[in-house]
Amino acid sequence: MAREKTNAGTHLTQLIVGSYMDAFKKWKEGALVVWGAIVIPAEIFRGFENVVYCVPETHAALCAAKNVGPELCQRAEALGYSMDLCSYPRIDIGWVSGGRKISPTSGLPKPGLLVSDNNDCSLLTKWFDVHHRNMNIPHFMVDVPFCYGPQEEKDLEYIVEQFRDLISLVEKMTGQTFNIDRFFKASIQTALAMGEWKRFLECAKNRPSGITAFDSFAQMAPFFTSRGTPEMVEHYRILADETEERVKEGDFPVPDEKYRLLWDNIAPWHQMSRMSTRLMELGANIIAAPYTLCIGGLEGSFELFQFSLDKDPLWYMARTQNMSVCPYGLDLRTDAMSWAIEELGIDGVIFASNRSCKVFSVMQMDQQRRISEKFDIPTVMIEMDHADARKFSEESAYMRLEALLENIESRRAAA
Amino acid sequence: MKPLDGIRRSKEAGKPVIGCFPLYPPLELLHSMGLAPVVLWGLRGPVHDADRHIQNFACSVARRLAQVVIDDAEGLFDGIFFYNGCDTLRNLPEILQEGREELGRDALPVFRVHVPMVPAEQTDASAYLRNEMQNLIVCLESAYGLSFSEESFAESVALYGSARALCLQLEEAVARGGMAFSDFCDTLMSANFLPVEEQIELLESKIAVAGEERALEPSSRVVVSGILPPPPAICKLIDDAGLTVVGNDVAAFHRSYARAPQEWSDVNDYYVRFYRDHFPCTTLLYSSDARFKALTSMVEASGADGFVFIGEKFCEYEYFELPHLEEKLKEKGVSVLPLEISIEDESTAETYRTRIEAFAEVLAGAEATVSGTS
Repeated sequence: MAREKTNAGTHLTQLIVGSYMDAFKKWKEGALVVWGAIVIPAEIFRGFENVVYCVPETHAALCAAKNVGPELCQRAEALGYSMDLCSYPRIDIGWVSGGRKISPTSGLPKPGLLVSDNNDCSLLTKWFDVHHRNMNIPHFMVDVPFCYGPQEEKDLEYIVEQFRDLISLVEKMTGQTFNIDRFFKASIQTALAMGEWKRFLECAKNRPSGITAFDSFAQMAPFFTSRGTPEMVEHYRILADETEERVKEGDFPVPDEKYRLLWDNIAPWHQMSRMSTRLMELGANIIAAPYTLCIGGLEGSFELFQFSLDKDPLWYMARTQNMSVCPYGLDLRTDAMSWAIEELGIDGVIFASNRSCKVFSVMQMDQQRRISEKFDIPTVMIEMDHADARKFSEESAYMRLEALLENIESRRAAA
Repeated sequence: MKPLDGIRRSKEAGKPVIGCFPLYPPLELLHSMGLAPVVLWGLRGPVHDADRHIQNFACSVARRLAQVVIDDAEGLFDGIFFYNGCDTLRNLPEILQEGREELGRDALPVFRVHVPMVPAEQTDASAYLRNEMQNLIVCLESAYGLSFSEESFAESVALYGSARALCLQLEEAVARGGMAFSDFCDTLMSANFLPVEEQIELLESKIAVAGEERALEPSSRVVVSGILPPPPAICKLIDDAGLTVVGNDVAAFHRSYARAPQEWSDVNDYYVRFYRDHFPCTTLLYSSDARFKALTSMVEASGADGFVFIGEKFCEYEYFELPHLEEKLKEKGVSVLPLEISIEDESTAETYRTRIEAFAEVLAGAEATVSGTS
């Protein structure tokens, strides 16, 4: 039986709708609209009076979750964009080329500036280049060196330098002066929100878990749409408070939780409801995912990285640029996942090999081997695409998932 | 010559062999320090060990590179160099070490540089890159007990400059019909695995033979583009269809040898200029605006009326730019033939015959119509 919608769920809808409406309102009033990649520190734009920030990846994920992904992908494919390209840009390009009409929201306001980065993937830069050419607007590229170990000081300084150049560009484009106090306040809001976010994720430690990874997938949205705002802090406080309260009251998403699983990759946006329901029927709960555990951390660590009032916020923003799994290597990924397995008492790991996200996926075969050897827990690899439902075979995936659960069961029986 | 034969020769000469990930490693620097750099693309053969580590939706370049480095039963490699050439490649170094360990091979020293992927007019990253190059030199000196000198570096730059100039001459020979495209591709891919001194000998010998202009059947002029040249059988199909390749935008060819700094103050400055002013490539993220201008100029200057895109299956860098490129070329009256090559397709070249022949007929037909001879 489906749980009734939580207060945080209702609040999430209001917050997201509000942020989209606000973006449109400010755009109509003449604000500069920035389309940015998800890890770009939106706090920088809060340092300006009249700049709005939107995230095409988040909009694409929303389109996928509302089942319009394949239709939009097909539009892009009809323009010549290969089906092998990531489904996020195919959705986005399909949406833009279709006159911005097909969207579960009102879409995004037309941008005046594009800001990509290559820490999650270089294809974001290629994707934003498509808009840069078609819309004839500037494209600022943030270049983030990959980490095979802790981020190096020289790389951090290089990123900070680019943020300063970005600020100069926005000043030049808008004629506004960057307000360091506004930026500082926005950075603090984000840091506070991260603390609340981690408190929410901590509820997965409970047995049964107080959350599912699907909850965290849905609830990550404000991190992209409302970064640097008091509204985001308030939302994550409501979310963490309510989730903790539910745990206290014994209200769990999978009350009969027999299997605690970890999901490795981007959310399967088109399968959110169906997958959580089917797994719940089997007593299985995917309680966490590196994709959302990483928010608020650093490369190789899912633990909260504390904001320091003594440091330049640009330093903090640069220091966290490699946090999102894709921008770091196998050793670091193994460290982070090991922490999660131990802290959360994981029984099995689902490696979702994602054709749309090679940067996340190309490493999983070795990571799977490492994790299986290190923890003696069963793991499974399934094929998926995070936003193009046409590339997901439900029955094939479930056959493997059921085998994973049987494996866990047989190991328990043998113990 | 098989790719590994060239590497064996470097190894036998006693130089430490550095397997360089594509696309544009600092070959001159490595060579100047007494190392034998080889760019690991254009490799052939089945992929098996690597498939236990990398999904089959990675491109053939990554899978074959991984196969050769992981397998390496002969111990051909003494080190690996890579830069942030593409997302898949940046994920590989640790995977290769895992694979080697699994097969009982020694771990390889790994050297890395981050090449700034920002437009110069946006962010001045020259100091960052200078520092990267300096760190690389220090690491190489420490690993192999070698020392760097600007004099040796200048000599290596001159050698690679000669090789690049010869490649351009050979390219011209193909354009005027003095050499088959298939022979050209075979020569350049063979040269890739040789020490630069031997590359020069090979290229000179080919130029000597190809010097004479040959009378050709009326044919259509095309530019070929892609990461790698087409597989040999497809090159031959292009030749057999009567298409003359008057220019190429192949990453392993023209994009690699078209430009290099003519003036520089030191090794670090050389590579700042090398990457900043490089012939545009889909993987050099800051060069995409320049790329369309460079390609349309190439097409116009060569008088090409056709453009053959050799799509490396799963190379998103290339595929993101194809629709816009196609549109721009068509606006100029240039027909485009997009072909997609995957590992599995390489042995089934006949499936491309009809498309290539039909494309040649379309171009010939258009030519005849324009000249009023239809």
